Amino acid sequence: MLETFQNRQGQLVEALIEHLQLSVVSLLIAVLIAVPLGIWLTRRKKIAETAIGVTAIIQTIPSLALLGLMIPLVGIGALPAIIALVLYALLPILRNTFTGLNEVDKSLLEAARACGMKPNQSLMKVELPLALPVIMAGIRTAMVLIVGTATLAALVGAGGLGTLILLGINRNDNYLILLGAIPAAILALLFDFLLRQMEGATATRNKAKLIAVSTVLALVIVTPLAFGRSQETDLVVAGKLGPEPEILMNMYKLLIEEETDLTVSVKPNFGETTFVWGALQSGDVDIYPEFTGTALASLVKETPESNDAGEVYEQAREALAEEGYVMLEPMQFNNTYALAIPRDYAEAEDITAISDLRNVQSDIQAGFTLEFTDREDGYPGLQNEYGLDFPSVVSMEQKLRYRAIARGDVNLVDAYATDPDIAENDLVVLEDDRQFFPPYQGAPLMKEETLEEYPEIEDALNQLAGKITDEQMSELNRRVAYGNERAYDVAKDFLEQEGLL
Amino acid sequence: MIEFRDVSKRYEDGTLAVKELSLTVNRGEIFVLIGPSGCGKTTTMKMVNRLIDHTDGKILIDGKEIYQFDIFELRRNIGYVLQQIALFPHLTVEENISVVPELKKWKKERTKDRVTELMKIAGLDPKLRSKKPAELSGGQQQRVGVLRALAADPDVILMDEPFSALDPISRGQLQDDIKRLNDELGKTILFVTHDMQEAMKLGDRIALMRDGELILVGTPEEILASEDPFVLEFTQRGRGELDA
Ligand SMILES: Nc1ncnc2c1ncn2[C@@H]1O[C@H](COP(=O)(O)OP(=O)(O)O)[C@@H](O)[C@H]1O
Ligand SMILES: [Mg+2]
Repeated sequence: MLETFQNRQGQLVEALIEHLQLSVVSLLIAVLIAVPLGIWLTRRKKIAETAIGVTAIIQTIPSLALLGLMIPLVGIGALPAIIALVLYALLPILRNTFTGLNEVDKSLLEAARACGMKPNQSLMKVELPLALPVIMAGIRTAMVLIVGTATLAALVGAGGLGTLILLGINRNDNYLILLGAIPAAILALLFDFLLRQMEGATATRNKAKLIAVSTVLALVIVTPLAFGRSQETDLVVAGKLGPEPEILMNMYKLLIEEETDLTVSVKPNFGETTFVWGALQSGDVDIYPEFTGTALASLVKETPESNDAGEVYEQAREALAEEGYVMLEPMQFNNTYALAIPRDYAEAEDITAISDLRNVQSDIQAGFTLEFTDREDGYPGLQNEYGLDFPSVVSMEQKLRYRAIARGDVNLVDAYATDPDIAENDLVVLEDDRQFFPPYQGAPLMKEETLEEYPEIEDALNQLAGKITDEQMSELNRRVAYGNERAYDVAKDFLEQEGLL
Repeated sequence: MIEFRDVSKRYEDGTLAVKELSLTVNRGEIFVLIGPSGCGKTTTMKMVNRLIDHTDGKILIDGKEIYQFDIFELRRNIGYVLQQIALFPHLTVEENISVVPELKKWKKERTKDRVTELMKIAGLDPKLRSKKPAELSGGQQQRVGVLRALAADPDVILMDEPFSALDPISRGQLQDDIKRLNDELGKTILFVTHDMQEAMKLGDRIALMRDGELILVGTPEEILASEDPFVLEFTQRGRGELDA
């Protein structure tokens, strides 16, 4: 743990500052919107319920979905993260401002009027001070929400402590996860403390203390701004969450910078397909590695006309071209779905292909990802094609299914062919002897305009065409996920060995 | 001097709470409005400082219609004491008393001196200055409530059942205070109560109301001498408290 901390100190400080900035800015904006809105609503009771209802609905949108929706609208980086965080924080602040003001004793309002206070004087001198504890409780709730949710900002390239958490998940490094999670918790406590101090200072009208606390908060916002750290590059290469995309995008960067005069920056660990795809559409990202099968099914929404890798690529390429995107030639490895079982079990029962499972069907306890149990090119289709029906199928999260099979809770899992976890957990992949699973080959995806502007990148990237076998990719992934090596170094190593650098 | 000329109040829901009321409260007197609950006393009183706007007739203060005053200035120049006391709980005793002077933009020193003076008149321990209302007894709280109304030295003070929530001893003391203040400071006080004893003790004149109408106006002696059946019923029961 201490070692992780020392190695990552610089990264931790940067992530912490980004996290602070995201949180404080979002909280401030949320307060500036929700408090005045709450005040206004106490004067418009009829629409108050609707308005609060709307913010409540916003809050039920899963944070990932909200971030995903934001990308096509405002792109990536801090902006979509801040907008999403602000939207989340609205409800507690708005609701508490409204109830806090409504709960002020009516006889006090009458006393204020009878004393000759104007409505805004009554608000400032009587209503807001009395509602303050309730409003502050709402602000503190919002703050905890923001600090927690801001860990997801890393998925849209906004940085923050989520970067460390994602990295930790990628690398199977629990210490790294904690290195992101613990500071986030401390940050929440610290904010809570500051806000309580502020509330106390306001209530006792302790100006010195109020100024002190406000200064601390202001510094928190301004300091990171002074660190302005955006270095512009010609191209931005991004990738989904996981070691494999991170290795591939580093290869893209290395090859482009080797072969051309262009500069490339990498943005790893974007959430999932919709996130990177949205970022590519909005122009925040120029290139990212995509799978042929995914491009077909999720991006252009066509069903594959064949299960032949070459034909699937052609079909995807043509459909994407119609929409103005270029998919360059794919690499060799096929990161398709696969079924994996423990090596000793396979050897004992002499199972090498999926068809062989029919002989042991009644002994099979399957652990599949939810997606796999649901997709036509997953378990349902597999049942038809191979005539299989397992007595026990539980669905679980990607990483967890490997833990489950390692513990012996299940004896069959779905896998992605290049998962390093297969070798790491001593599993064997069963041959898809009826060629049921569609191919998923990785290839660089970009806008046509990008290629028109920088035609030289085509040759640079096509050097990878047909390269990297399943085994090679799997080993590269293992080095990052389990070997504690950096994706950049692993990518460079490979390209040098292949004589491409 | 407060004059009501054929004043009526009809609420939005149609309730006619006050019906063509005409009466004059003279400068420097304690004028008590009494009557059973719901007869329109509060409505009548709140129309004076426009917490409620009347719907018919005219209300004049020192000969000038209340609509001709700036509404906020009007209220700042009329003291108001509530039954619920309604001190601002987040403010200290001193700050509560200073509310109206501050709204009237008095100099800080002047306001401070005024608070000292008032607390002395009311016999409040100067140590209470920086206390919050919650730290005071009910009687002390309402004394501060009265001081808040008196702070900017208004000519007219409105009091709506100000002592009915207090224990009998505090109530008696505060009644004595009001009587004394009125004698010493010559304020015009419009006082609402449903307690006949209180009315008899305080009132220079008493007005008896029923269903939004004025039944009788007179000195305590005249009220006692009245033969009106409603007045008789009221004064007989008035030995104790009247709570319809
Ligand atoms: N805001 C209001 N809307 C409608 N009716 C009201 C309102 N306030 C008071 N009333 C009615 O007006 C009448 C007089 O009320 P009020 O002046 O409070 O009486 P009192 O102070 O003598 O008890 C009552 O019938 C009461 O129900
Ligand atoms: Mg009343």
